Amino acid sequence: MRKDQGVLSAQEASRLLAAVAARRDRAAFAVLFAFYAPRLKAFLKRSGMTASVAEDVAQETMLLVWKKASYFDPARAGASTWIFTIARNARIDRLRRDGRPAAIAEAFDPSDQPEEPVSGEQAMIAAEREERVRTAIALLPPEQADILKKSFFGEETQSEIADAVGIPLGTVKSRVRLALGRLRQILDDLK
Amino acid sequence: MIKHHPSDETLFRYANGSLEPGPRIVVAVHVGGCEACFSRIGEYEAVGGSLLHDIEPEALETGALDRVMAMIDADEAGRGAAAPKQRLPRADIGIRLPQVLDDCGIGPWRWIGPGVRWSRVTLPGDDSANVMLLKVVAGRRLPEHTHVGAEYTHVLKGSFSDARGRYGPGDLDEADDEVQHQPIVDREGECICIAAVEGRTKLRGFFGRLIQPLFGG
Repeated sequence: MRKDQGVLSAQEASRLLAAVAARRDRAAFAVLFAFYAPRLKAFLKRSGMTASVAEDVAQETMLLVWKKASYFDPARAGASTWIFTIARNARIDRLRRDGRPAAIAEAFDPSDQPEEPVSGEQAMIAAEREERVRTAIALLPPEQADILKKSFFGEETQSEIADAVGIPLGTVKSRVRLALGRLRQILDDLK
Repeated sequence: MIKHHPSDETLFRYANGSLEPGPRIVVAVHVGGCEACFSRIGEYEAVGGSLLHDIEPEALETGALDRVMAMIDADEAGRGAAAPKQRLPRADIGIRLPQVLDDCGIGPWRWIGPGVRWSRVTLPGDDSANVMLLKVVAGRRLPEHTHVGAEYTHVLKGSFSDARGRYGPGDLDEADDEVQHQPIVDREGECICIAAVEGRTKLRGFFGRLIQPLFGG
């Protein structure tokens, strides 16, 4: 596997997804694959999957990125966010197939629903959202940013973690609540 | 005007994929009609996008790209030959249901107590989730009850009230195990809700607790 070639900008990723959608462009797909597949694998592992299952679901996600590229709408979500939602749904489906339904995904994914055209204002909001959220996370106090990340990966909801850190489960929950409240505040301020 | 929304934690769990199937579909119904929550979920999904973008990458197995390209070839060759989706049976229950429920099975109305009927909602690929539609006549007071896990109730038609406020069409009531309530359906007309409970307890357990006092049990 080629070593990671640095960072892919949101704009470039959008352009590559559009090329896959319009021309079934395999070279564009290969660039997306080189950037996202290793990140998906790391992401899925951190969400609690073994290396081999994470590998499998990362590949499956990239296949879905190819198949669904025409659904990608840069006015609705950034490329990384869109690919994240595909991975999330693939993970949920995998858990369901393994008899451990965590949630149900595919059928209710709003990204697959035919929708009304996006208004100009919405388009602007979606384009800026990924950037705004990234800024907001950076503005969180380090402890809250940490708890937000851990709970996103499902690491902070388990009582073992509370035990490991030596604080009660209720305290972990209220810290997550506080972190989300703070994030909401920052996001509203950034609007 | 929507007054009651899912909590931020619930929207966050919707976005990260950890919300259980039952509650997830009820929240999806709410989000389908609530721009504020749709946008909030978009932000939480962008948290996911941002974490994905910034995570330390981990090399895939050798030949991973070739393998995916081969899957793409196989997929393109078999295009149009996909098996038709299996449709779950849907009873006509006299109300237009939100689009997100299109793939769900809908059972007929069943009587479970004076003025109260329910219909089972089956999720595709998961027949063990506890999701139901509830139809309660105007003015009916439901028994006082608490919850074992969280309970999510989204109003599709009519309204009900309890000590915490009034819930009308589009409102989602998220009641955790600390809430003890006794909802009363408002006098203007019947109320239809879609509801789900967290956890894998059988529906009977839920209805047992909900309905038992109606029979003086």
